[in-house]
Amino acid sequence: MSEKVRIGFYALTSCYGCQLQMAMMDEILHLLDKAEIECWFMVERDSDEDREVDIAFIEGSVSTQEEVELVKKIREKAKIVVAVGACATQGGVQSWGKDKELSELWKTVYGDAHVKFEPKMAEPVEKYIKVDYKLYGCPPEKKDFLYALGTFLVGSWPEDIDYPVCVECRLRGNPCILIEKGEPCLGPVTVAGCDARCPGFNVACIGCRGAVGYDVAWFDSLALEFKKKGLTKEEILERMKIFNAHNPKLEEMVNKIFEEGE
Amino acid sequence: MYIPITVDHIARVEGKGGIEIVTSDEGVKEVKLNIIEGPRFFEAITIGKKLEEALAIYPRVCSFCSASHKLTALESAEKAIGFTPRPEIQDLRELLYMGDTIESHALHLYLLVLPDYLGYSNPLAMVDKYKREIEYAMALKNIGSKIMDYLGSRAIHQENAVLGGFGKLPTKTQFEELKRELKEALPLAEYTVELFSKLEQYEEVTDDEMVHMAVKPRNDVYGIYGDYIKVSDGFEFPVEDYKKHIVEKVVEHSFAKHSFYKGRPFMVGAISRIVNNADLLYGKAKELYTQYKDLLRYNNCFANNFAQAIELVYFIERAIDIIDDTLAKWPVKERDEVELKDGFGVSITEAPRGLLVYALEVKDGRVNYADIITPTAMNLAIMERHVRMMAENHWQDDPERLKLLAEMTVRAYDPCISCSVHVVRL
Ligand code: SF4
Ligand code: SF4
Ligand code: SF4
Repeated sequence: MSEKVRIGFYALTSCYGCQLQMAMMDEILHLLDKAEIECWFMVERDSDEDREVDIAFIEGSVSTQEEVELVKKIREKAKIVVAVGACATQGGVQSWGKDKELSELWKTVYGDAHVKFEPKMAEPVEKYIKVDYKLYGCPPEKKDFLYALGTFLVGSWPEDIDYPVCVECRLRGNPCILIEKGEPCLGPVTVAGCDARCPGFNVACIGCRGAVGYDVAWFDSLALEFKKKGLTKEEILERMKIFNAHNPKLEEMVNKIFEEGE
Repeated sequence: MYIPITVDHIARVEGKGGIEIVTSDEGVKEVKLNIIEGPRFFEAITIGKKLEEALAIYPRVCSFCSASHKLTALESAEKAIGFTPRPEIQDLRELLYMGDTIESHALHLYLLVLPDYLGYSNPLAMVDKYKREIEYAMALKNIGSKIMDYLGSRAIHQENAVLGGFGKLPTKTQFEELKRELKEALPLAEYTVELFSKLEQYEEVTDDEMVHMAVKPRNDVYGIYGDYIKVSDGFEFPVEDYKKHIVEKVVEHSFAKHSFYKGRPFMVGAISRIVNNADLLYGKAKELYTQYKDLLRYNNCFANNFAQAIELVYFIERAIDIIDDTLAKWPVKERDEVELKDGFGVSITEAPRGLLVYALEVKDGRVNYADIITPTAMNLAIMERHVRMMAENHWQDDPERLKLLAEMTVRAYDPCISCSVHVVRL
């Protein structure tokens, strides 16, 4: 590619962590010779959401009517749209409140007060526009960004991961906290790629990289461990909803763990 | 004629906010900070959820200070269930907190603030001419991140800080590595003070009525945790009384509420900590404070930038001291068992941007009530007042310049806008 790749980084409702992760990479400095930043408010004052870009990174969940319009505009102006992080790919932790009514959430936080903007229940970007690629995680790992950027820059396409965190956890040789202590580690049902970051610290996975498909070979054997350890269906479902409230197959998946096979 | 000047999206801050200034022939008519980031309802969505799971998501309020949210939520939860962590654990949490503050201050000063002073629209464009500054920024940011990686599991959204302590502690070798790198970073932090001492010449905002609030540090060491809040007018109150003295109001043009003390806006942040607690500084930071006292003006929000530079030096030195203490007590046990008793707890700590309040009620192992007030929410009212003062001084200037000065005023507060948008239960 002779011309510089035009990049945009756009924020919807989020914690700004995904873009912070990208901005904090020392490698970003090397990228500059190859890329032109057209829009990235967190680092560039001369940003403009109306410019055309080659790659649009979108962080955050769609949570206001204005953001619905924004994602549509981004789609029109971008060649490749990448949803970045749990907010954009899965609705984010803010979707954990999906079991409650928006009006109830509003009342709890703002009482009867009124503001001039229109809030919505948080939703993943895919709900409104076609997304070409997703980077999972809350936030994604630096290597997720590097891999995606690297492949885009050579005109190729990154591959999806379809195996769970447990695979990486076993490779690292961590003691299994689900088997040994019965802690509700979501490693068996969560997309890998973080090198089993949390179990490596003896902390159970909360599933930030999203639920992995359940029609792959290892699923039954690993996921059934939940049942064996005496964790309840409700407990697992509630925990998976922290980052996966919008996953339409969640109930089905958890039912499969608890109702089929022994 | 009324002329509106708007910045739709303030760049180089965390979160989405805008500025609206309306002027007429006689002067400034109206100034508003529009907070347009969508609401995330953190308090509401965690009610009824398992305490451990709620604690895992609170850091997601904000990435720039995720460790602060984690640790403040943890302290409030532990108070609620009647658990007190061992002093070694409290120290190590403070160390994790320092990693957060070092990273956050370095990013704010070099990448968000400095470009304005040097005439750039983004920090990356400075690389050719200001290579040293960018390298220092990255190095200071890296040591902050590394502390969080080792003690918190990662630099954004730390999972390795849990009820009762940590999942796993760094090894002795890792602590030694951190100490070595902190020592190497100290001269870079001192350079930052020199650099900002030359930039901090702004007089445009002079607010002699400015009141500052900060934690009264525990154990009389300038730091993060405390049980009382100190106000620069001489008043002190226990953290449990926060609702009486930090009064929140919903305003129409923002998803974030405004806060008032005795009916007036007040400021929190690095400058507020120094105004209230400078006598507790020690070491190199104390020397620099004495040397540059004149630049640490209580009545000018721009002094917040310089105060952060002094704090960079202080927190690096303090982090080294904590590591020394930890190694002297080695081996340190990472975690104690906790029992999830019912109760209510309030914690107020010093996040990089100022006071952060968490009040949690725990019932049957679940969150029964949650109230979070963030530093940016507290600062919004005074920030708006100072943007107005800036506009009053410059309303006849070229609109582009007025815009930049208004943005710089906001940036001096180092706002964390996503932080401000999930506010209190009324
Ligand atoms: S996915 Fe996580 S890190 Fe990224 S913006 Fe959302 S809350 Fe922040
Ligand atoms: S269940 Fe958790 S701890 Fe066990 S192997 Fe899987 S990821 Fe690792
Ligand atoms: S272990 Fe689980 S929660 Fe932790 S980073 Fe990996 S996917 Fe996310």
